[in-house]
Amino acid sequence: MEKLRNFEYLVGNGNISQKPMQPYDELICNFIGELSIELNLSPLSNKYSDIKTLAFWCRKKNIINIKKNFISNETRLGLGLVFHITPSNIPTNFAYSLIFGLITGNSNIVKVPSQKFEQVKIICRAINKVLKKKYKTLRKMILIVRYTNNDNYTRKISSICNARIIWGGDNSIRNIRKFEINQRSLDIAFADRYSFCAMGTMEILKLNNNQIQRLVEKFYNDTYLVDQNACSSPHLILWLGRNVVKARKKFWKNLYVYVDKKYHLTEIASIDKYTQLCRDILSLKNMKKYERYGNSIYTIQLNHLDKELHNLRGKWGFFYEYEINNLNKIKNYINNKYQTLTYFGLNKNILKDFILKNKLQGIDRVVPVGQALDISFFWDGYDLNRILTRVVDIK
Amino acid sequence: MNINFYDKLDPFSLNEYKKGIFFEKEINSLTSFHYKNSKEYKKILDLLGYNFEWKQLDKIPFLPAKLFKEFELRSVSKEKISKTLISSGTSGLKPSKIHLDKENAHNQIKVLAKIMSTLLGNQRLPMLIIDQNPKLLKKTIFNARSAAIYGFSIFGTNHTYLLNDQGKIDYDLLNNFLKKNGNKTFFIFGFTSIVFENLIKKLSNKLLKFNFKNGVLLHGGGWKKMEKIKISNKIFKQRLLKKIKLTDVCNYYGLVEQTGSIFIECKKCSCFVTSIFSDVLVRDKNFNIVKDGEKGFLQLFSLLPTSYPGHSILTEDIGKIVKKNNCDCSSKGKRFLVYGRVKESEIRGCSDT
Repeated sequence: MEKLRNFEYLVGNGNISQKPMQPYDELICNFIGELSIELNLSPLSNKYSDIKTLAFWCRKKNIINIKKNFISNETRLGLGLVFHITPSNIPTNFAYSLIFGLITGNSNIVKVPSQKFEQVKIICRAINKVLKKKYKTLRKMILIVRYTNNDNYTRKISSICNARIIWGGDNSIRNIRKFEINQRSLDIAFADRYSFCAMGTMEILKLNNNQIQRLVEKFYNDTYLVDQNACSSPHLILWLGRNVVKARKKFWKNLYVYVDKKYHLTEIASIDKYTQLCRDILSLKNMKKYERYGNSIYTIQLNHLDKELHNLRGKWGFFYEYEINNLNKIKNYINNKYQTLTYFGLNKNILKDFILKNKLQGIDRVVPVGQALDISFFWDGYDLNRILTRVVDIK
Repeated sequence: MNINFYDKLDPFSLNEYKKGIFFEKEINSLTSFHYKNSKEYKKILDLLGYNFEWKQLDKIPFLPAKLFKEFELRSVSKEKISKTLISSGTSGLKPSKIHLDKENAHNQIKVLAKIMSTLLGNQRLPMLIIDQNPKLLKKTIFNARSAAIYGFSIFGTNHTYLLNDQGKIDYDLLNNFLKKNGNKTFFIFGFTSIVFENLIKKLSNKLLKFNFKNGVLLHGGGWKKMEKIKISNKIFKQRLLKKIKLTDVCNYYGLVEQTGSIFIECKKCSCFVTSIFSDVLVRDKNFNIVKDGEKGFLQLFSLLPTSYPGHSILTEDIGKIVKKNNCDCSSKGKRFLVYGRVKESEIRGCSDT
């Protein structure tokens, strides 16, 4: 197709079919299951926990589970060709995006980050290896490309694809959207989002030593594991219930012990957090006070909320906190920027009612603390199983 | 600061104990001065939980260097500002803006002169500047480089710029300068990377008709580039010696936030040395003071900042204190080394494509 500088095929050689298959076709499911095994076998995978997570996620058993959730009476087919533009800074994201497209019966052209991550190499090598075995049909359904500054290619693929999945910040999405897609085609943008966490104070106070340990570990996995950079990592913690002082103290103290032991705090992180503290002191109008646990945890306590709430973001263990006795007090601040609400010690039906009764535009996921980063076919409010397939209505 | 008090003192003459007595007092009073006069500084200290008790140096609050890039921090009214210093804006960040009133600007020059006199004596020397005339520099780089050139120019006469308007070495000018001034001590000034590029790499010994051996070179800044090409201070000196027989080479280090109270390198041990106007502490990732000899963030103190709260700054530079008494020079200041800017980390997460 294209022979250009700064352009390479990591999987495939340019030939791509646009013929859809049925979602969860056995061949595709087997392929993904084998990919999981191959990833686990590769000695290099052990170096990267994100590859292990991917391999675990796409293991055969999980694919069967996902398939079970999909079963529908309608006759469905993939859309055809899906063009994926994946984020520059998460090495394994492209693989999830590919699997979303593939499992729903689509051919895929996946643009990976221009930065040459080792993980991308390992995963592509595994895909090539499995494809070579027996998956001749699938070879024309997967094209993984890496390129920079090639508007022509982006324009061309955009014009022929049936769906385009764009991961990234608002600016990158705007840039890609400059390239038109076909009238019948579909744009799915996983844009910049904001996530937060709600904790029931009374439940925290009830936890014994082991239980609080497990809670902070889960919270750590939602946040510190990705330096709070994932769009589903919480920045704001809401404390619901009485005895907040005691509950938050118990939580932060235990988290501190864990973070101190587990987290590799970089120098840039520690100075950046201190700078952010000073910046917040000078520019926030609703800051009550702050607390610092070494340089591992910074928290800013707010004395009221404002419309700019979704701009309060921390990195490397920098959080904002707010006490409320009733969830409804925050309803006016939730906009469509809000993605994930992680919760602990609260009834999920109450959270559901909160979203439904208040007719909120935001919050697409409500998951227990510890599952913020779990990727699923429901993402950013889209049901990818359905949006990436079409119904053939037969009567 | 009552500058006259320091007039008779050699800037490197006091030992740690003697200096400590007045230095701590001055820094404490600067802290409360800025607290009373800078709205922003007060706001930060109030939230950090500051009280007016006398504090040892390591308990004095510090502002992160980046804050000066994002906020206008002043301790005098806007009308009194007579001069604004602007740092080189590194890696896409806004530059720092330092607002000086007349007194602050005056003190900077006075202190710089005292420190420079230990290097050059009290005479103004013929000065060769390893750069273009700032009048020719582009507006964007004008501020940082030209401010330094103009700042140090007051210690020289007969200012001669090595580079012409094309950025090339002007051999006629250079040979003339050396012919006229090369027999006695003369002053050479430039940014480290520009000195490296021109005196070490580009200069043609064939076209050079006179020698540099009586030169005293002061160079500083721009070491990010040197780090990239892996030229250490030691190699830098060796190459200058080999190429142009220049022996008197002195590196300086300083923040635009603390202009004036610069740190110059000890000729014997090549460490930077604090003067009676400055001090340094090293902090670890949790901002605890490290043991001498361990690396960490440099926290720099200066007695000079009065029109803005820059007397205690936590930098993003990594360095270490070198134990005293190893060097047999007469300087009594604290010795330290600078390794460079803290590493930017790789981003994890999904913020942008």
